[in-house]
Amino acid sequence: MSAFEASGIGEECGVFGCVAAGEWPTQLEVAQVLTLGLVALQHRGQESAGIVTSNGATPPTYAAHKGMGLVSTAFAPEALLKLRYGNLGICHTRYSTTGISELQNCQPFVVDTLHGQIAVAHNGELVNAAALRKRVMRHGVGLSTSSDSELITQLLALTPPMEERDAPDWVARIKNLMSETPTSYSLLVMFKDVIYAVRDPYGNRPLCIGRVVPVSKMHSSGAGEEDTEGWVVSSESCSFQSIGAKYYREVLPGEIVQISQHGVKSLSVVPRPEGDLPAFCIFEYVYFARPDSIFEGQMVYTVRQRCGRQLAIEAPTDADVVSTVPESATPAALGYAQQSGLPYIEVLCKNRYVGRTFIQPNTRLRQLGVAKKFGALTDNFAGKRVVLVDDSIVRGNTISPIIKLLKEAGATEVHIRVASPPIRFPCYMGINIPTKEELIANKPEFQDIAGYIGAASVKYLTVEGLVSAVQEGIASLRQKDEVIGSGSKRVGHCTACLTGKYPVELEW
Amino acid sequence: MSNSEEPKATTTPYVVKEEIVAAGKWVKLEKTTYVDRAGSTRVWDTVKRTTRQINTEADGVGIIALLKRTLHKDCVVMVKQFRPPMGCHTLEFPAGLIDEGESAEAAALRELKEETGYKGEVVGVTPVTCIDPGLSNCTTQIVMVNINGDEGENINPTQQLGDAEFVEVLLLPLDEFQVKIDDLLKKEKTVVDAKVYIFAMGMVQAFFKPRELPVLKQ
Repeated sequence: MSAFEASGIGEECGVFGCVAAGEWPTQLEVAQVLTLGLVALQHRGQESAGIVTSNGATPPTYAAHKGMGLVSTAFAPEALLKLRYGNLGICHTRYSTTGISELQNCQPFVVDTLHGQIAVAHNGELVNAAALRKRVMRHGVGLSTSSDSELITQLLALTPPMEERDAPDWVARIKNLMSETPTSYSLLVMFKDVIYAVRDPYGNRPLCIGRVVPVSKMHSSGAGEEDTEGWVVSSESCSFQSIGAKYYREVLPGEIVQISQHGVKSLSVVPRPEGDLPAFCIFEYVYFARPDSIFEGQMVYTVRQRCGRQLAIEAPTDADVVSTVPESATPAALGYAQQSGLPYIEVLCKNRYVGRTFIQPNTRLRQLGVAKKFGALTDNFAGKRVVLVDDSIVRGNTISPIIKLLKEAGATEVHIRVASPPIRFPCYMGINIPTKEELIANKPEFQDIAGYIGAASVKYLTVEGLVSAVQEGIASLRQKDEVIGSGSKRVGHCTACLTGKYPVELEW
Repeated sequence: MSNSEEPKATTTPYVVKEEIVAAGKWVKLEKTTYVDRAGSTRVWDTVKRTTRQINTEADGVGIIALLKRTLHKDCVVMVKQFRPPMGCHTLEFPAGLIDEGESAEAAALRELKEETGYKGEVVGVTPVTCIDPGLSNCTTQIVMVNINGDEGENINPTQQLGDAEFVEVLLLPLDEFQVKIDDLLKKEKTVVDAKVYIFAMGMVQAFFKPRELPVLKQ
């Protein structure tokens, strides 16, 4: 979590949901499953967490709990007590992107609609939020937060033209929403006794489904349909292991999936405008997702390792050892070492108790802060030329003190190899990137970035290299017919922050 | 029972003799002659089982079995069956008589397996307790058992009942024990065993009102 974490690039959130299978009231501890699911998604947001459960009755009783901080802080055992009658629920963990955050901005949002209460959890950012807010307010709807997740909730509450009086048509309502905004959103909408899992037509943010089976049957192949104890849906599959769920499939781009006590049913797949490719955020692979999560049939760790290999092919180095900036760059560093044949060693010791809790007001203090975060494993590299692999250089402020630290500890040369291309453009789909001017890649210093940060040489992975490392795993898996749920044969990733080519036209 | 003509001196009550009045296959009726605290000799109608083993003071065992599964609520294993003496169905803990040469623990695990199909492990035993001492000398030991519900054989357990046994197994979550029992009583003509209901009330007390005095709400 090196450069990204320190520079304030934030992934906005993780979503998770659970529906108990079979008869209700269930004996599955739904509130506990939801909490454990959120803990596994904690890397996607540490600022606040919220859970809403439903007992699924007619009319349903919803119970909610929201809190600031980590899941373990926000949810004391007493809080879970009031959620214990839930037969299904959704939950959300949030990342701070704009300074002060209040409890009212915490998801999931619950609103009354004509047909009853709905709860909504959203990951992503609507590209046309500003224009959409005006349209919704013109309809007479008041908005109480600045969050576009509230906007989504209000859009779902609007009655679609053809809907009948007594029968809510959620597919029509969701399709209505999807026609109003192309990206980006992975949504969980809970209504009474059902969860609708929705992914925008470009599939920009991830979403996948798991099947809860008895703990003893988790790893065997013997878990039949009758063993299903529940269904879970999550931003990332890394959450499944910790709750005894088996990976089932991805929610496809544009798909609306209904998850109930009776099972998983695909209700619709909304297509993209003709010719448009999917645009799965490539930074989920590069940095945000946990290494053990699976996207498009491949494990994130494997992709990062491949990036490291590709980097070694594109930018070999005359040096003695390869190392990593702990921990997120490690798979790439290992890949680089494997491809280059250079030995892999550890050079930095990370203090895991120093994190983003400190907001350092200026550059000098920030650099000192980084020095406190790492220590040098001097004996491992004194007198040697080191290749240091990092997952990114954003402002250049994090990596410089690290290089200084290594040189003072005895490294004769420090070569930086970056396992991703330089970020040059803003993201409007949910990744909070510093302004264009702050990005090192856009500054004149970038011409001699090695000199600027004190390295012997600096090389980035090319965009083509990154894309091929990501897509190689998908193509080969598809040939073997192993990609679960990939109905669409088209593959595409959003690289807007790297190339300036956005998947959709941006509306101002 | 006051009698002002009797002497004020008291004695320790004791049984003088026991005479069998009638005996069936499982149960016998006796006339128990005893001396009461005031020193008077009296007679009591007593029911006894014919099946009590030599090496044990308890006729049988009752089993409080907790089914524990990962990420699931802990459930008490209950049995529902038709009881001819009551003329209706009852809700009870699994139970059975102790066989020859058996300990209470062994009897409990055997009966649990036969009646419900679950394989458990003993975590505690009560002392010998009386069941209905004004009527009979029947005694029981309650055995506390944990069932590892994650284990393969406890996932879809099969009962091993005898010919005349028709036992329905019910799993009731421990944290809603009393509520669930009350629901069942509302739905069907079932009588709940006293030990079960007392235990349920105790659980409510422990879960929700650990520092208050128990009050039965209407």
